[in-house]
Amino acid sequence: MISVTNLSKKYGAFVAVDNLSFEVKEGEVLGFLGPNGAGKTTTMRMLTGYLPPSVGRIRIGGFDLYDHPIKAKRLIGYLPENPPLYPEMSVRRYLRYVAALKDVPSGRVNVAVDRAIEKARLGEVAGKRIAKLSKGFKQRVGLAQAIVHEPRVLVLDEPTSSLDPKQRAEVRELIAALKGDHTFILSTHILPEVSEVADRVFIINRGKVMAVDTPQNLSASLQMREVVNVELSVPAGATAPADSQLDRVRAAFEALGRSAHVEATETDAGTIRIRLESDLGVDARADVADLVVGRGWKLLGLASESLSLEQIFLRLTRDKEGRD
Amino acid sequence: MRHALVIARREIESYFVSPIAYAVLTIFTFVSGMFFSNMLVFYVRQSVLADQQLQRLGRSDLQLDVPTMVLSQFFGNEGFLLMLALPLLTMGLITDERRKGTLELLMTSPVRATELTLGKFLGAFGFIVIMLLPLLPMFAFLAQGGEWEPGVVFSGMLGLLMLAAAQIALGLFVSSLCENVLVSAIGTYGLFMTMQFIDTSSSGPESLWAKFISYFSFYMRHINSTRGVIEVADLVYFASYITLGLFLAQRAIDAIRYKRS
Repeated sequence: MISVTNLSKKYGAFVAVDNLSFEVKEGEVLGFLGPNGAGKTTTMRMLTGYLPPSVGRIRIGGFDLYDHPIKAKRLIGYLPENPPLYPEMSVRRYLRYVAALKDVPSGRVNVAVDRAIEKARLGEVAGKRIAKLSKGFKQRVGLAQAIVHEPRVLVLDEPTSSLDPKQRAEVRELIAALKGDHTFILSTHILPEVSEVADRVFIINRGKVMAVDTPQNLSASLQMREVVNVELSVPAGATAPADSQLDRVRAAFEALGRSAHVEATETDAGTIRIRLESDLGVDARADVADLVVGRGWKLLGLASESLSLEQIFLRLTRDKEGRD
Repeated sequence: MRHALVIARREIESYFVSPIAYAVLTIFTFVSGMFFSNMLVFYVRQSVLADQQLQRLGRSDLQLDVPTMVLSQFFGNEGFLLMLALPLLTMGLITDERRKGTLELLMTSPVRATELTLGKFLGAFGFIVIMLLPLLPMFAFLAQGGEWEPGVVFSGMLGLLMLAAAQIALGLFVSSLCENVLVSAIGTYGLFMTMQFIDTSSSGPESLWAKFISYFSFYMRHINSTRGVIEVADLVYFASYITLGLFLAQRAIDAIRYKRS
């Protein structure tokens, strides 16, 4: 359905996308994962025919995007990072406009618009002006716009960034419901978003593919960790000077043996913050509490956190760079 | 070309919910009315004087054709008004699409840059046609008072429309270069004023340079039509500007994609 060969985008000496090649089969969902500035948006823009590539070929449904742009573009639905909306228009009028731009036959426009409104669950706001809508609804209008002509290929660029958690969950649900109807490419910097829907995930950084795998394998290889955050203070009168105190505390935590990784920092207020990472399934909180009390330190805070996927992901991209 | 009409229609609709467009429409109509009535009063007074002179002296220096004089003055002023009004209507044509991100929608739709350019042009032109409609009752008023000159009205209106079309095409080009509407408006004003008054930059009236320069002047071309003269050369002149403006705009719109954003 989508075939990309040796795709590159250069701006002068800066390489935004570096020699990307991949194929997406009919009905497949491909996730593009990468930090901001990794070249995701540039790639999405090239796939949709907005940006001309510096080098490389893109074929959409058998049509070369360069040789047959109009035919190829008819097959694509695209939701850019910022939904392309006209605030002064009503939702319904806007979708009719987009349908006409996307060559939906005039007799079918009403049906197509109704269907898109239903799929994006916009029924209650269909007559309202877009300017009056909340951010979550605007994003859904953007989604409706992308599917109004029932495209075979759907390209979504960071569809949930800039939304609050509730809106994010709603949009994510809508996207999951679209699976199966379209071949789609989803870009995001949030791992769970792709792991829910994607069949395959590309991790890209600095325009290069760092890893390609199924979301399951990827999660496994990324080694999920448990994290405990501790804040404590060492009572005054303790003998050692302040800087070695920090080392002593760190050494004590390392000696616990429950953790794979310990970070210790001193705050301005004179307290010490410890960040303890351990293997999945290990809860170190009880041991930490015992240790602190046993040493006569004052425990100010103790909280567990599951290491966010973004952080893991950042670590992965950082590690890879280190090896290059 | 169906897309061009779709885009033009949306453009006209968006003018009618835009406070800027309403302000321009209102002020243009009001100031036009003011020009018209002031000029009418002035020339009617002049013609009364001329009549008195004729009775007293048996002859008059003033040979006045009031409707024609009112009309040619009026159309000349309208040309100037258009120059003031149009940049405010063309400044956002492409600039706004860029700012809103909707240019990305247009360029990833199966729409050619030519269709987009033409659609934008037709949208703005359609609004100008609507903006000129309130002038018609003024001419009807003139027709009530005496000999009415349909020929001058026709050529004057045609002249205004041609001038507007040429200015819109150039304004569209400037808009496709700018990322900021204010810059777009200022650039367009600069270009229009240069084109309007370029003939004044020639020194001697008979020099070759003067003749050459005045070929480019909006004013020198437009002024013919206000006197009831439609010259093929003038039509060709305006048509050339429309074509040039649209061509440059189309190229500039297509080139936006090559810029790093």
